[in-house]
Amino acid sequence: MSVGADSKSLKNLLQGQSQLSASPLDRVNQLRTNAVNQVNILNLPTKHDEDWRFTDISPLTKISFQPVREASPLKNSDVEHFYLTEAVTRLVFIDGIYAPHLSTQIAEPFKKSGVVVSSLAAASSENLAAIESHLGYHTELQDNIFAALNTSFLHEGALIIVPRNISVETPIHLLFIATQKEVSSHPRCLLIAEPNSRVTVIEDYVTLREETYITNTVAEFALADSAHVDHVRIQRDSKEAFHIANCSVSLAQKSNYQSVSIAFGARISRYNLNVLLKGEGAECTADGLALISNRQLADTHACIDHIKPHCTSHQLHKCIIDDAAHAVFNGKIIVRPDAQLTNSTQSNRNLLLTSKARIDTKPQLEIFADDVKCAHGATIGQLDNEEIFYLKSRGLSEVTARDLLTYAFGAEVIERIPVASLKLRLEQVVHKQTQRD
Amino acid sequence: MGAVLQNLINKPYEHGFVTDIESDVAPKGLNEDTIRLISSKKNEPEWLLDFRLKAYQKWLTMEEPEWSNVRYPKIDFQAISYYSSPKPKKKLASMDEVDPELLRTFEKLGVPMSERAALAGVAVDVIFDSVSVATTYKKKLAEVGIIFGSFTEAVHSHPDLIKKYLGSVVPVGDNYYAALNSAVFTDGSFCYIPKGVKCPMDLSTYFRINTEESGQFERTLIIAEEGSSVSYLEGCTAPRFDTNQLHAAVVELVAMDNADIKYSTVQNWYAGDENGIGGIYNFVTKRGLAKGKNSRISWTQVETGSAITWKYPSCVLQGDNSVGEFYSVAVTNNYQQADTGTKMIHIGKNTRSTIVSKGISAGHSNNSYRGLVRIAPTAAGARNFSQCDSMLIGDLCSASTFPYIQTRNNSAKVEHEASTSKIGEDQLFYFAQRGIGSEEAVSMIINGFCKDVFQQLPMEFAVEATNLLGLKLEGSVG
Amino acid sequence: MIYQDSKTLLKIRGLCATVNNSEILKGIDLTIKSGEIHAIMGTNGSGKSTLAKVLAGHTSYEITGGTVDFEGKNLFDLAPEERARAGIFLGFQYPIEIPGVANNQFLRLAFNTAQVQQNKDELDPLEFDDLVREKMKLLEMNPDFLDRSVNENFSGGEKKRNEILQMSLLDPKIAILDETDSGLDIDALRIVSNGVNQLANKDNATILVTHYQRMLNYIVPDYVHVMDSGRIVKTGGKELALDLEKHGYDWVNIEKTAAVGA
Repeated sequence: MSVGADSKSLKNLLQGQSQLSASPLDRVNQLRTNAVNQVNILNLPTKHDEDWRFTDISPLTKISFQPVREASPLKNSDVEHFYLTEAVTRLVFIDGIYAPHLSTQIAEPFKKSGVVVSSLAAASSENLAAIESHLGYHTELQDNIFAALNTSFLHEGALIIVPRNISVETPIHLLFIATQKEVSSHPRCLLIAEPNSRVTVIEDYVTLREETYITNTVAEFALADSAHVDHVRIQRDSKEAFHIANCSVSLAQKSNYQSVSIAFGARISRYNLNVLLKGEGAECTADGLALISNRQLADTHACIDHIKPHCTSHQLHKCIIDDAAHAVFNGKIIVRPDAQLTNSTQSNRNLLLTSKARIDTKPQLEIFADDVKCAHGATIGQLDNEEIFYLKSRGLSEVTARDLLTYAFGAEVIERIPVASLKLRLEQVVHKQTQRD
Repeated sequence: MGAVLQNLINKPYEHGFVTDIESDVAPKGLNEDTIRLISSKKNEPEWLLDFRLKAYQKWLTMEEPEWSNVRYPKIDFQAISYYSSPKPKKKLASMDEVDPELLRTFEKLGVPMSERAALAGVAVDVIFDSVSVATTYKKKLAEVGIIFGSFTEAVHSHPDLIKKYLGSVVPVGDNYYAALNSAVFTDGSFCYIPKGVKCPMDLSTYFRINTEESGQFERTLIIAEEGSSVSYLEGCTAPRFDTNQLHAAVVELVAMDNADIKYSTVQNWYAGDENGIGGIYNFVTKRGLAKGKNSRISWTQVETGSAITWKYPSCVLQGDNSVGEFYSVAVTNNYQQADTGTKMIHIGKNTRSTIVSKGISAGHSNNSYRGLVRIAPTAAGARNFSQCDSMLIGDLCSASTFPYIQTRNNSAKVEHEASTSKIGEDQLFYFAQRGIGSEEAVSMIINGFCKDVFQQLPMEFAVEATNLLGLKLEGSVG
Repeated sequence: MIYQDSKTLLKIRGLCATVNNSEILKGIDLTIKSGEIHAIMGTNGSGKSTLAKVLAGHTSYEITGGTVDFEGKNLFDLAPEERARAGIFLGFQYPIEIPGVANNQFLRLAFNTAQVQQNKDELDPLEFDDLVREKMKLLEMNPDFLDRSVNENFSGGEKKRNEILQMSLLDPKIAILDETDSGLDIDALRIVSNGVNQLANKDNATILVTHYQRMLNYIVPDYVHVMDSGRIVKTGGKELALDLEKHGYDWVNIEKTAAVGA
């Protein structure tokens, strides 16, 4: 890819940025200015960049994406099949634009105790201090053109604040619906979990049309001491779409971040998950499943960075790759000099269903402390012949046995989702996709 | 435990001395004239000079690699002398004729080679700096048709073989250092095992860098014809110097149908002092081509020396059912840096590879495993198993693991496991409670940690390796 | 067994020790003579395991007061391995796993170190193999043990038997067995206890550190000491253990309080 193509496509991607109206939040305006500068300095990554070695995003440059000018007029009935029964609180964004008429407010008692679930643009003055001290602080824009691009368009977004000692029992559903062709949207999430608070957040990317578009998200999760956050991320964008995502998580003392991330959609998807274990005794689980087919590419880059002692992290990432699809996994565990007594595990397991399917995986360890327990593993292979034989010996056909085991391979990750109705729905998707005809 | 381990890991280098043998040293600097000089000094045929010049031209277009996890000041390639050899002496027929100074050197190294060669039945092709001084057991090997000798000699005695295989596994432009080596290599070993011959003894070479500021560019080529097998040992120690010395060797192995090559290395070059001053830069390209069906190439290495080690002995598994193995122990201490591992390139059907890597870091050192397992679309039924374990001693060192796994065939099975451990205070206490001191305890734990690799070494090398690790990590307990 | 002409092996006076600045032992007085079997009992956290580790020289504990005399020498002058070579054996409550180091290699090194200490000949691998197999029969151990890494993936009972095997090889003057009965089923308890009984003689001494009385059904102590909050609060004969079993540890505390009150 030539430099010329880069700058052209970047101009495309920045198109409409200058028309954004100034935000009432100074912090937002300042972040935007910095981000635009970054975008202008940086080039789109190519396969020569180590971080993008296996993910060729040049197709992205061949399409001229426009920012959304007008939100599609959607009614509840158009999208309610995406709603989750448990998630009574819901923020809906259509092509990146907040749709208050489809969203539901947080229950009154929580609102009274200070829980905020709203559009970033609608944040009230008492939350300014919290926003000022977190927004943009957890995401590094240096060398990350997509995060910079997202920040350039920073305007609306989902804001969740859970005050000290508050536990929000029902999950909060952040629903991002794509409806238009050849548009770009830049969803943003900011979650501030104050000390000893607890919340479950579902970040859900869906589409109404199988079109080409780009979703470029940034999520920032800040967990204060002893906060507990369950994060479910579902990417079921159009199979023609591009989905680029950055999620940065900062963990204070004894906080606990549990996440499951599922990628079904997009022609090319890339998920960067960066977790910083900044306080002693913090815990993190980051599980993932990519289930892809045809010519899809799903790339997951996770970096779990242990900075303080006594932290724990566990990661299980699985890929089921069908047809000529291509999965990429890059998992890095860093244990800094101070992070003694770290306990960290990482496992990447991959199932290739056809002879055209492809996997590139790179599980890495970088250890700078001696009193730690770290282990990682990666496997690539097919279904276990012994298991197939066992099922056949119980009367199942070869095909049924294979389907069942493939399904089970994916279901292990789905199982970890703490929202029953979502789990059920995703299990059905996995079930459908793992049946041979 | 801190203080105990500090003492254990700081035993001084025992092989630091300079042998006083007059050397014939080329002026510093690298250009076409240098290459012509090397070639003419060695009376090389025209085609070899062409090979060198082609490599040099390629090298000029290349850039020094920066992707590895090692840091060092930029090397001034014009400040290096590319040729040095002991003053020509008449050819020696037996060990008795070898310069006594040289023999004393080997004695100090703890390698009484005359005895050792006789006792162990090892043929030693002595490389002293860049030129062969004495070769023993050649006759015995010749009886079964094995050619084993210096590379320079082979260029004259077996030009067809050299011409056919030189650069066939590591092309001149393969990487920056391989290109440099191809341009300026001075000598090395050549070994040819004819069809069906099982080499009756381990073939062994002791390398030594002797002249200050002389870059060392060995070239080794081993060909195992159909149904043959050979075990080759390479061992290294080096004298102490304050200026860094560059070493960029190239080793090429070719195994035909049903042939088996086992290549073992114990490397203990000068690693620099406890402040990280001096030491060898070891940038080596080693690659084996398992060309034939059912062929096998096995690398075993014990890396304890050098200030910087940059080394990835690899296997290209081209023949169906061919096997590649890599067993490695890398020990770093003080300010040493090691970035080492392997590449297993599976091309043929049912190819199998095994990787066992054990890294031990102490002091301020940095020890990285970097490996690639690639399964090509043609490699149906390929299998790989990798095990990469790290042990850290003290909290100022680091250990990293960078495995790349690329699979393009769905009938392949790849498994990678890595873990890190330490020598725990409670383990040392348990030993102490049974009357075993910490020095012995550490040595035992480390040898246990490396057991899977040591088992792969030939007997006498295993002993040497154990001693080396002891030397490296043990010392007078406080 | 108590002998008339026995000599004093260990004399502990006013022993105080801390870990991480918190005081665990608060003045222990105890005299152990050759031939004797002592049981030290007490609740969790009473300091009995700490006493065992302090005697063996564990580096996590700091000695803040008192003296320990071992056969006329100041015990604190000896490094942990020197204490072991001088004949102090600690059977660990949780024997640590040492991956990669073969059990037979470890046992032989420990054994030969002790041999050298006593000016006896070292055994070569074959001679040692005969000896160790003999000892293992006594403990009904599977010979597979020898080839496995030290304690790695051993069950709780296997680890404890391995400790007693080491004790039998090293033939210590004082064996301190820290909760050796925990995690043993009834058969294993019998086997291990038999082993300990066979090793006890008029020249050595055994200290059993235990929470429960059940091991004392197999190994009959000459003295029972009850520890509480870092002190020995009661000493008696073997019947004291039975009283404890019957009344529980609170009984001692009540008695103690009553005594203080009186």
